[in-house]
Amino acid sequence: MAMLEVNNISKAFGGVRALENFSVQVDAGEIHGIIGPNGAGKTTALNVISGIYDTDSGEIILDGNRIETLPQYKRTRQGLGRTFQNIRLFKGLSVEENVMCGYDHHSYYTVLGGLFPSPRRFRDEKKASEMARHYLDLVGVLSYAEERPDNLSYGIQRRIEIARALTCTPKILLLDEPAAGLNPTEVTELTELINRLAKELNIGIIVIEHRLELIMSISDRVHVLNFGKPIASGTPDEVQNNQEVIDAYLGVEED
Amino acid sequence: MNTLVANILTQVFITIIAVVGVYVLTGLTGMFSLGQAAFMAIGAYTAGLLVIRLGMHIVPATIIAVLLAVFIGFLIGYPTVRLRKDYISLVTLGFGEAIAALLNRMQTLTGGAAGLTGIPRKTTFTIAFVSAMVAIVLVAFFRSSKFGRQCIAIRDDELAAKAMGTNVTFIKMRAFLLSVALTAYSGVLYAFYLSYVDPTIFGWKKSADWIIMVFFGGVNSLTGSVLGAFTLSALPQFLRSLESYRFVIYAVLVLLIINFKPSGLLGEWELTPQNIKKLFSKIKMKFSKKEDKRNGNA
Repeated sequence: MAMLEVNNISKAFGGVRALENFSVQVDAGEIHGIIGPNGAGKTTALNVISGIYDTDSGEIILDGNRIETLPQYKRTRQGLGRTFQNIRLFKGLSVEENVMCGYDHHSYYTVLGGLFPSPRRFRDEKKASEMARHYLDLVGVLSYAEERPDNLSYGIQRRIEIARALTCTPKILLLDEPAAGLNPTEVTELTELINRLAKELNIGIIVIEHRLELIMSISDRVHVLNFGKPIASGTPDEVQNNQEVIDAYLGVEED
Repeated sequence: MNTLVANILTQVFITIIAVVGVYVLTGLTGMFSLGQAAFMAIGAYTAGLLVIRLGMHIVPATIIAVLLAVFIGFLIGYPTVRLRKDYISLVTLGFGEAIAALLNRMQTLTGGAAGLTGIPRKTTFTIAFVSAMVAIVLVAFFRSSKFGRQCIAIRDDELAAKAMGTNVTFIKMRAFLLSVALTAYSGVLYAFYLSYVDPTIFGWKKSADWIIMVFFGGVNSLTGSVLGAFTLSALPQFLRSLESYRFVIYAVLVLLIINFKPSGLLGEWELTPQNIKKLFSKIKMKFSKKEDKRNGNA
């Protein structure tokens, strides 16, 4: 059984069917790309999987457990990390504290430990800081640990967000348009990073992107959405030669 | 120390305890409670009544008063913290005014509008001072813990906080109850200090006062909130003759702050040994620069 199994999830907003019968199976170490034109339902798919929206039908199974009825934060605790299209770092916290937030649900000291320093709190905080620094180092931005995220460039903020999601120790990582707003060099570096994360950490990654080149170069499998419906799914080569995909992307020739 | 100053400072320290509570709620977590003063009323009345009517010792009376306030806070908070932030202020406003009205109506128990009199005067300057210091230290520890971090995360971006596995309702509730406990305790001290309480003291204006103090000093800084509480509650005491203009002065101050320094007097600056060192080296640099200039000119 795959690490993440999504079977026939759908989501409608009023009369708009934003997502219909979407399915995907992701194994550890695999990278899956979801592409489609603007408004195709890519982000909706991610939001339904991560629990921002409830699914109207279908099931989501993570590592053998049904999670489609769990609230968002519990899905994260089960092993589902994510980033956002428009970077959502916490402005009031330093970079290190931002990333430590991902680990906080692993530390178990109580409110009492929050008011009075206890050895347990000390131990947990130290571990959280170590984890944060480890993942910041892994994505290559450890030198910014003490800074405020506001002062940093877009590309670095993206990496911090990925580090923060990794600190949740996910089994599946969902990346929502990670290359948006990056320059070509940064995009290449990001591609390498995503590849490295999948192999080194042995986690499954789902990437959403509307740029074909990026998705085709990193994905093991590609899923194409158009107007909320999955129209093709397969290896990058198969998808690239699929007539329906070409039509959706380039338009149909009129006689 | 002369008695007048000691009296004023005692009241200031009592206010500071309530304001650090508001800091936890509004500064850290981004929730506005316009009924916060009602929890002060619950603390004050409960402790006062237990001592007067049941002849209880003040220590257990204080503990019971704070616990009761926290319990009521839990009942109010349970449905409220799930709401969007702006609705929280509406619900708490209604709750606060309801408590004030209730105290007014329950004449036989609370003395109604005439107030509750004859509470023993037990709060001394030392008690108020030590309590305020302990409250500040507790909140400082809370702020630097994972709970403080999660509160700030929720304030900045609730959706992203959830995506980090943060149980938002749970954390909001903890922050709310901590602030209720602090406010109730400040109410207890208040009752034992004035020996008299009446319902009009605890209206929404009091809650608004506290929020103004937090914003004046710096909503993102505990030091700022304490400084705001200190300045804005001590000033009117020294300028008694201007009492009737207090709200005008507050309004002007708030306008000035919002326009010229939206993050408050101190912004995010905190009083930590590290920051003090930095500040000193900055001042030193400035002085040495001046001296260099003087030497250069000479």
